Amino acid sequence: MLAVQTKGLTKKYKDLTAVDSLDLEVEQGELFSLLGVNGAGKTTTIRMLCCLAKATSGEAWVMGKNCDSDKTAVKSMIGISPQDTAVAERLTVRENLLFMCRVYGFDKQKSRDRTAELIDTFGMQKVADSRAKTLSGGWKRKLSIAMALIGEPQVLFLDEPTLGLDVLARRELWREIQSLKGKLTIILTTHYMEEAQQLSDRIGIMIEGRLAALGTLSELEKQTGTTGLENAFVAIAEGGAQ
Amino acid sequence: MKRAFAFTGRNIRELLRDPLGYIFCLGFPLIMLIIMTIVDRSIPPKANMTVFHIENLAPGVAVFGQMFIMLFTALNVSTDRSGTFLMRLYATPMTASDLTAGYIIPMLIISMVQAAITFTVAFIISVIVGSGLNIGGIFICMITLIPSALMFIGFGLIFGVLFNEKSAPGLCSIIISLGSFFGGIWFDAQGTGGVMLKISKCTPFFYCTKSARAAMALDFGADSFMIPLAIVVLCAVVLMSLSCFAFSKKMRTDLG
Repeated sequence: MLAVQTKGLTKKYKDLTAVDSLDLEVEQGELFSLLGVNGAGKTTTIRMLCCLAKATSGEAWVMGKNCDSDKTAVKSMIGISPQDTAVAERLTVRENLLFMCRVYGFDKQKSRDRTAELIDTFGMQKVADSRAKTLSGGWKRKLSIAMALIGEPQVLFLDEPTLGLDVLARRELWREIQSLKGKLTIILTTHYMEEAQQLSDRIGIMIEGRLAALGTLSELEKQTGTTGLENAFVAIAEGGAQ
Repeated sequence: MKRAFAFTGRNIRELLRDPLGYIFCLGFPLIMLIIMTIVDRSIPPKANMTVFHIENLAPGVAVFGQMFIMLFTALNVSTDRSGTFLMRLYATPMTASDLTAGYIIPMLIISMVQAAITFTVAFIISVIVGSGLNIGGIFICMITLIPSALMFIGFGLIFGVLFNEKSAPGLCSIIISLGSFFGGIWFDAQGTGGVMLKISKCTPFFYCTKSARAAMALDFGADSFMIPLAIVVLCAVVLMSLSCFAFSKKMRTDLG
């Protein structure tokens, strides 16, 4: 069974086509990056896969469940870390995690255990009792991802996870994301070439709502006759523009 | 309902950790209670002005405090909407009913605590000034204030759903000003007569204050208590229904 599958997935906002006939297949356990400039349709794609936006046409499935007709099942299998950190600012790190545990219906003991486990996994012990609003950008992102992992999702969506972070915080978050590889399917959106190159098993390049290219880094280099993701991206983007 | 209670817990913590909440929901009404008591003591008895007597002032100030609950409901909802926190929750098994209940329940609890503190301070003041508030009246008044609390929470939810975190507080300030004015909190609306009384009677605020004052006086007459309370209950039901509908519709639009 595929982790994510879309067929002709399209989203239109009045005259604007944000996502145009997207056909995509992501295997279980894969770390798949959607790469594109701002407005390429990456976030809209994620929103449709997370049941946060209704497709204008086409269909999407997450772990075999339809994102339109079986939303409850899809929501129980996914976790999302949105572009903004989306944490409760006046709650502590621990309280944010406990809150999400209760949202997923865990009992007290399981909530405590899962919270402790995630605090440990992300090395958040020293900030566990600090309020979210006092955290740095890097810690907030870690908390956001930890909150997305609370429900033990099979598919994790990370929307621009390192946006606005400094280079050190970004590298640290990459290590955290890499440590999750293989344990679950990760769909990541980014416009940082290096990030997609470092983390991904496969990369999908979106240009103006369309999936312009798809493959591993070496496959993309081969397709474009270039070296490095940035050159491949530019070649594809310019080709797409022409 | 477990998820609604989880969200209730989050909202209560967020509100209790906001210093502005204490200033507006508690500090300001209590200061007004004290200032108006001083004003009352300064007015000569022959003026026959009873609106600032503690038994009339305390229910009025309690209603005034509820208007700030409206403001904080609107702020809470609009701030959650402006960020992506609600979006995160939309992607979980939480439903619109869980979220709406999670906004309403904490505000109702906080408004009850606010009323209890207001009446405790009012009782102390009444002992000091030698008028002695009736404890039974206080309890009945607190129960009478539940529908008006729900009405103001409904207003807050609607503003929070329809407007952003910059516009919603401004609109709530207008309601607070109009409510204080037409509710007859700071003057005797009943005694003004004429157009002013007619306008006041067209607003639900007038009936909130009137029913609360009648409850405090243990006056359960149809005109003074039952009919005003029925009007407030009706307004509360309408506003609660409208706010739940608006929230569900907004959620559907957000997910459209």
